[in-house]
Amino acid sequence: MDDGKGKPDHINTVTVVGGGTAGWLAACRIAAEARRMGREIRLCLVESDRVPPIGVGEGTWPTMRNTLAKIGVSETDFVRECDATFKQGARFTGWADGSPGDSYYHPLNPPAGATRIDLARFWPGEGGGASFAGWIDFQAALCDAGLAPKAITSAEYQGQANYAYHLDAGKFAAFLKEHATSRLGVEHIVGDVADAVLDDSGDIGHLTLSDGRSVSGDLFIDCTGFAALLIGKVYAVPFRSCRDILFADRAIAMQVPYAQENAPIASQTISTATGAGWIWDIGLWARRGVGHVYSSAHCDDERAEKMLRDYIGPAAKDLTSRRIDIDAGYRTRFWQNNCVAVGLSAGFLEPLEASALMLVETSLDAIAERLPQNRQAMRIAARQFNTTFLHHWARIIEFLKLHYGITRRRDTDFWRDNADPASFPDELAERLEFWRHHSPNAQDFTHAREVFGWPSYQYVLNGMGFAADRSSLGDGSPNAAVARGLLEQLDRLRSEALTRLPAHRDLIRAIREHGLQRI
Amino acid sequence: MRVRPLDLAAHGDLRFDARKAGALRRIVPLGMAEIVYAAADMPICLAKDEQTGKFDLVGLMGLVEPVSLFAFPEGFQATYMPRAARLSGFRLDGQSVSGLAIDRDDPAFGESGEALFEGQRPAPWLSNIALELKNLIADIERARELAAAYADRAVLRPLRIRLERRGAGEHEVEGLYTFDQDALGALDDKAVLAMHRADQLAPAAVMSASLAQVERLRQLHNARFTPVIESFALQVR
Repeated sequence: MDDGKGKPDHINTVTVVGGGTAGWLAACRIAAEARRMGREIRLCLVESDRVPPIGVGEGTWPTMRNTLAKIGVSETDFVRECDATFKQGARFTGWADGSPGDSYYHPLNPPAGATRIDLARFWPGEGGGASFAGWIDFQAALCDAGLAPKAITSAEYQGQANYAYHLDAGKFAAFLKEHATSRLGVEHIVGDVADAVLDDSGDIGHLTLSDGRSVSGDLFIDCTGFAALLIGKVYAVPFRSCRDILFADRAIAMQVPYAQENAPIASQTISTATGAGWIWDIGLWARRGVGHVYSSAHCDDERAEKMLRDYIGPAAKDLTSRRIDIDAGYRTRFWQNNCVAVGLSAGFLEPLEASALMLVETSLDAIAERLPQNRQAMRIAARQFNTTFLHHWARIIEFLKLHYGITRRRDTDFWRDNADPASFPDELAERLEFWRHHSPNAQDFTHAREVFGWPSYQYVLNGMGFAADRSSLGDGSPNAAVARGLLEQLDRLRSEALTRLPAHRDLIRAIREHGLQRI
Repeated sequence: MRVRPLDLAAHGDLRFDARKAGALRRIVPLGMAEIVYAAADMPICLAKDEQTGKFDLVGLMGLVEPVSLFAFPEGFQATYMPRAARLSGFRLDGQSVSGLAIDRDDPAFGESGEALFEGQRPAPWLSNIALELKNLIADIERARELAAAYADRAVLRPLRIRLERRGAGEHEVEGLYTFDQDALGALDDKAVLAMHRADQLAPAAVMSASLAQVERLRQLHNARFTPVIESFALQVR
């Protein structure tokens, strides 16, 4: 059978440009998928040794479990080598009204009974004595108790509760690099891209490195970070800013050692609102990653750093900080000709819901699992990819804006400006109006595969105390009995999980010492 | 559990009755040398250690209740009594004179059987117990290495035993693992030869066949407990 490999327009070589997390993940994912499909693909990664990786993105989504499994790495090795810990969601403190005790969870578990009924309709509200996340799922209780989402007897990538990871981004890139080159046959080329030579169709024919070498490819993955060497500099694809919606444009990051060796490790990202943004606090095995995301229009750098140091306390005294500029927005096309932008070259948003690595993974799923056979198919894949990911970026921005827009804080200009409906995307404003009368539902979204589905909206809206007309949400329906059964089952699950699951640090220690089994 | 070093003041009046040992054990770890003997009576599966997550070979002596179905008032009735069952009341303890600690709650300790002390001194037979415990631990470690080899070959799968109880619905025995016959069958020739040379294939066959003993456990259960188990299903996922 003619597989077309000899034809000039066949996609035989994929060249990844850039060697950070996105680049090495791209190389691993495409190489592993091609191998699984029995497709012979030459995969090269070109990396400059003079450009340090950005190293952002210490939080992941549960999708990372699938990604790691698909590229064939052991969860044990990943935990050991990337200083990874388990993430069960995020706790937002001070976002709703800024009062003492203002805190809610956005856990990774879906609401109980999510595939059967909308249990949220039966939530009695905060007045009933339980937070929404605590009432409708057991994961918030695990986080509060400092427990892990799984036990040492759990198989790799499986848990009693849904989970993602917190990881050391620098170590993760090195881990992926080793895996790609030693196990997946990825060719590693060290050099600086000086030029891209286009053919008559406008496709990139080959890259020229600064030392004169040439690197060919049929498909190029631009993972060059903010430099956007191909999608930005070669193709000049416009950048769509969303600074009018999301005001944060700076971050200051610090690495904070634990006060004691056995200090508990939080298994949730702690996101604490400040007067001009918010502070992330992520617990890794050997240190915490802490940073302040803020709007420079509302707070100068010096004050922002002081707020961060005040949050950390005395431990911040001798620590150095690192500033990152956030030019919030995304490309108007991600796949242009034979070049796809993945990672920061495609766009960048503040890390409020850890969407950066998720977008890399989702992009790579779309590329690797539908790797075009030839350039004709590539044009179609590109158009579909662009449509899908323009939607994803817009919806992520909406979801991030939701956290700010429905705040009741009015204590600073930052929060007053954020709550101004004029800064809301139209679709978000319309949905919010609808949600004043209805609980968020899968039917509220036009795409079947939303990156943030209705459970996420329920957690944030109810966690933030969004004013909804609960009088219309009667509990006399036939589903009321189902709801009672689900809540009883949830009580049992919660009790069992609180009894049986280990402390987060204890589990990480056990994994580092003994490893997890594959089954 | 009241485990403490063997001590005249605490244990001077106690006797050990081996026939009653292990009566409260539903599952016991097995050593490498015990596989063929235990298979004559009970299903041999694998289970994960709660502290390390590593696989142990285990003998299943009960199904629903937390007891051994081989334990009868007149003693243990089976072809073979696993050493971990017989020694379940003892622990190695380097701090005590005899090198042993005692679990006072183990049903083997009481008024019948062999005295733990002769006069002021531990009975001489206890030195054999300490030796047996050491041998058992070493043999369990060999079994653990065997289990790790199976795990590395990816031929293990979770085993769920679903029991249908008369008038009481379904009960599941979970936390067990066994062999995936398809995965074993799919091993390439090199792997099969390597496993044969390492004496790993024969134990796998014995352990797989031993699952037929679940029926024996069902019969023993029904002779002593209600609700009776009407049927069972083994699911290897």
